[in-house]
Amino acid sequence: MPTVTEKSKKQKTISAKISPSNNDSLKPDAQLKLYYFMKLMREVEDAILRLYQQGKIVGGAYSGNGNEASAVGSAFALEKSDYLFPMHRDMGAHFVKGQSVLNLMLQHLGRDTSLTKGRDGTTHYTDPKLRIYGNISPLGAMIPVAVGVALASKLRNDKTVAMTYIGDGGASVGEVHEGLMMASVMHLPFVLIIENNHYAYSTPIDKQFLVEKLSDRAIGYGIPGVTVDGTDVLEVFHACKTAVDRARRGEGPTIIESVTMRMQGHAAHDNAWYVPKELLAEWKRKDPLVRFEKKLTDDGIITKSKQESMSADINRQIEDALKIAFERPYPPAEQASEGVFAE
Amino acid sequence: MAKIEVVMPQLGESLTEGTIIKWHKKPGDKVKKDETLLEISTDKVDSEIPSPATGIVTKLLFEEQKTVAVRTVIAEIDTDEKATVVSETPKAAAPAPKAESPKPEPPKPAVTESKPLSVTVSQSVPAAPAAGRFYSPLVMNIAREEGIGMAELEHIPGTGEAGRVSKKDILAYVQTRKAGGGVSVPVSSGGTAAPRIESQLKHVETGDLAKKYPAPQYEILQMSNIIQKMAEHMVKSKQTSPHVYAVHECDMAKVDVVRGKNASAFEKREGFKLTYMPFICDAVVQALKLFPLVNSQIEGDKIIIKKFVNLGIAVATENGLLVPVIKNADEKNFTGLARAVNDLAVRARTKKLTPADIEGGSFTITNFGAFGTMEGVPIINQPQVAIIGIGSVKKRPVVINDAIAIRPISYFTLSFDHRIVDGALAGNFLNTLIKRIETVDENFVV
Amino acid sequence: MSKIITYIEAISEGLREEMRKDKSVFLLGEDIGTYGGAFKVTKGFIEEFGDKRVIDTVIAESAIIGAATGAAIAGMKPVAEMQFADFVTNGFNQLVNITAKYYYRNFVPVPLVLRLPFGGGIRGGPFHSSCPEAWFFHTPGLKLVAPSTPYDAKGLIKSAIRDPNPVLYFEHKFLYRHIKAEIPEEDFIVPIGKADIKREGSDISIITYSSGVHWSLEAAEVLSKEGVEIEVVDLRSLVPLDTNMILQSVKKTGKVLIVHEDTLTGGIGGEIAAIISEHAFEYLDAPIKRVASLDTPVPYAPTLEDYFLPNTKKVIDAARTLAAY
Repeated sequence: MPTVTEKSKKQKTISAKISPSNNDSLKPDAQLKLYYFMKLMREVEDAILRLYQQGKIVGGAYSGNGNEASAVGSAFALEKSDYLFPMHRDMGAHFVKGQSVLNLMLQHLGRDTSLTKGRDGTTHYTDPKLRIYGNISPLGAMIPVAVGVALASKLRNDKTVAMTYIGDGGASVGEVHEGLMMASVMHLPFVLIIENNHYAYSTPIDKQFLVEKLSDRAIGYGIPGVTVDGTDVLEVFHACKTAVDRARRGEGPTIIESVTMRMQGHAAHDNAWYVPKELLAEWKRKDPLVRFEKKLTDDGIITKSKQESMSADINRQIEDALKIAFERPYPPAEQASEGVFAE
Repeated sequence: MAKIEVVMPQLGESLTEGTIIKWHKKPGDKVKKDETLLEISTDKVDSEIPSPATGIVTKLLFEEQKTVAVRTVIAEIDTDEKATVVSETPKAAAPAPKAESPKPEPPKPAVTESKPLSVTVSQSVPAAPAAGRFYSPLVMNIAREEGIGMAELEHIPGTGEAGRVSKKDILAYVQTRKAGGGVSVPVSSGGTAAPRIESQLKHVETGDLAKKYPAPQYEILQMSNIIQKMAEHMVKSKQTSPHVYAVHECDMAKVDVVRGKNASAFEKREGFKLTYMPFICDAVVQALKLFPLVNSQIEGDKIIIKKFVNLGIAVATENGLLVPVIKNADEKNFTGLARAVNDLAVRARTKKLTPADIEGGSFTITNFGAFGTMEGVPIINQPQVAIIGIGSVKKRPVVINDAIAIRPISYFTLSFDHRIVDGALAGNFLNTLIKRIETVDENFVV
Repeated sequence: MSKIITYIEAISEGLREEMRKDKSVFLLGEDIGTYGGAFKVTKGFIEEFGDKRVIDTVIAESAIIGAATGAAIAGMKPVAEMQFADFVTNGFNQLVNITAKYYYRNFVPVPLVLRLPFGGGIRGGPFHSSCPEAWFFHTPGLKLVAPSTPYDAKGLIKSAIRDPNPVLYFEHKFLYRHIKAEIPEEDFIVPIGKADIKREGSDISIITYSSGVHWSLEAAEVLSKEGVEIEVVDLRSLVPLDTNMILQSVKKTGKVLIVHEDTLTGGIGGEIAAIISEHAFEYLDAPIKRVASLDTPVPYAPTLEDYFLPNTKKVIDAARTLAAY
């Protein structure tokens, strides 16, 4: 059994390896893909917000506006066989994993052919083919489940990785700690992205915790932790790739803190009047989509006409999806009593 | 042109209304999809609302500053698309065939309705128990199945707590009964009560009477309306009609055969037991048609002949004697009479009779056989001129063809008003009616 | 061919046989590996199956239950253990919000078993003796079983492992070494959702499970000498409940006594009484009675715990009163 001093020496070397490195090692068409997924997320979420305001989506609607780089950059580091446990502000990750706009619209509209057959809404669904396991409302609860999937990975030795997310507020929940305890001591192939967007509903981070960097919590578990700029999609991608590769090699879990800003309210009904306008203005200047667009333009990777055709394609996808979705009915009432147990 | 309705959205799960702050368009204006149409304010947030379609605004249904419930239509847009209107609220898919009635075992957990396991709900509601003994649901169930009425139930010895009749006791009794013993079978449907009327009446504790008849040796009760009316009626009847009585025997053997053959099918179909009453009612009605004087009424020196039979059936309830009437009984067949008798008895005991139910009788049947009475001398129900009392059906030795036979016999007593009905008429009437009962076709399918 | 075996050995044997049969079955819990389990149910397992299939976890019940759920949705068959049923509350959110609701929401099965050593009589005090089944009886999406004999214990752990749904397996820690019986050598399972008549009778039906079965059988022997024949219906499964067998027995006898070790108020006996009065009202010759523990936490001192728990005498007294009604 290693002594305490031996363990802490090992800790420092691992942290050194996680720091984000060369940003230009992704090929141009991969970078275009990143841009595409971020744009898709932005447009689809805007469409959902409008539907909510028109009374066509009931209950609630959430957006990850401002979080596009974090959602897309992280999921982009996964293989097809890896497991994704996204949160409600990571819709871009769903798209990276191969999810269709139609399925997300059916989910939000609660129609009979949604992946949950109308039994749950928003992004609370599971798609085993794409290996996407949606979150549930009590955030933090999916962490032990993601750890369990990583456990299965390890037991079967199939070299797959489980990636999940939690917020600056959700990270306070006890189940997160318990999940990390198990993942760390058992060296499970698990990656936790803490998306620090400065607000948990109306609670700012200075009312949530004292530490400066949430990635420092990794020290408590004896695993590496790193903080990255969540609005820089390439920085996010590279940090996540390093963590995913580590996990796949059997070296255990990593915590990545991705710092962004929640640009809209907690949900569509909340206009975030409690967030200082200056803070929002400051982060608006760092809009991940705008920034990346500029970089790609400067690097000659994207042209105006390519952007326009991409926009047109995305709009058509959304329109087509909505056309189909609106034709579907709600599930028949009697179905509510069925399907409690699997046969 | 297709019409699109714009509704007040629900911008928050708990919100129920929104206020229109500003319309950005007026009727006749063009509007593009997602272009801001209006601004609203709610408890949680102020918001711009984008238009759901491209077209021309035709109607604004509410003014600015008006507060409106969510999902209320607030505006209409005419689109220039030929496409069908996008419905705001999708209908649920065509409902699946109705869920089957809940079974006891839960493969599907949702058992939403309570239904008793028996297919039909029995109509023969047993009347309130007598003499303070409690009968459990199981005992009542067995009693009903075996055709044991309340009167008979009271005579069954009980070995349960406080002397109650337990399952063991009633099952043992049923065995004895089958072997030929037991209390006489009551005639009416569902069993009649020997009600404890006293327990329903109000106590009188003050006044002169209380002094004259002090407690604890005396208890003073206030007569209810029903009892007062009954008291008045009975006295008046005796004062009005010179009562004479004729008693005849009725052999129920053939009726028993018909009852035996038809009992279960009848009960399954109708939901109540096949008793002697419909046979008796039917015979009475037919006899009254042949002897209309017995069905008539006296006004001074005139006799009012009635071209209909409104048959009164005396029912004992916990509140007293009631005589609801089967209107136009002469128009009913056997089944119709059976149903009418049962219906009146049930409604009488559940206090669901209307005043109309009690009026207009032209002849009355009173069944005191249910109480074990062999022969009685009933009082005429004014302004009728006769009443028939039915005694308990009991196996008796009779002489047939100079030999002794055992037959189920009931004594029928006709009390008649001798102002217009004489002994000959009474005797003929009774013979006719009894002959009809005694010669019922054994193959009669009820 | 048959052999005599204790209740705890039957559970171990069932687990072992299923693990040998299906490689995707693995165990996780506190102290189950090296130590062989707090009660030694899994003694010898880590030696036979290795530390990849017998996992000693951190002390974190929500991680145990959550990880079991995750592994199950990823296609494995975990059998997780709560060291004492009392500790399930530390993982309550995982169990009722994720495990129970998962299939209904996502149509992805969660084939996990959660073993819960429950019940008192071992002087364990308030946190090592409770019967928490009522909380989960009330949670749609979870199956619950509670065997009373070695035969049922072995048969049910196998059925639970083979069931594609989450199954809570309530093993009674007092019965572990106190109950011994004959079981067949050949492979067998006990289906989930089917009760068992442990003793036939015509005068009173006792509806019971787990420890209640043994008190009831002893009481039946005594009452039989007094001319009252008791029918003992062992539920074996709490969810799904074998309502058919319960009602059949009630219709036969007309008198019902419900016996369970769980506390009286809110224990599942109330639900059973409601079902009987709703579906067999006309077959009742007496009010439905219950014998259960007091509505208090489980006390520690022997005199207090004995007063708290049901026992054969309490069942005898209740049955006699019922018989005389």
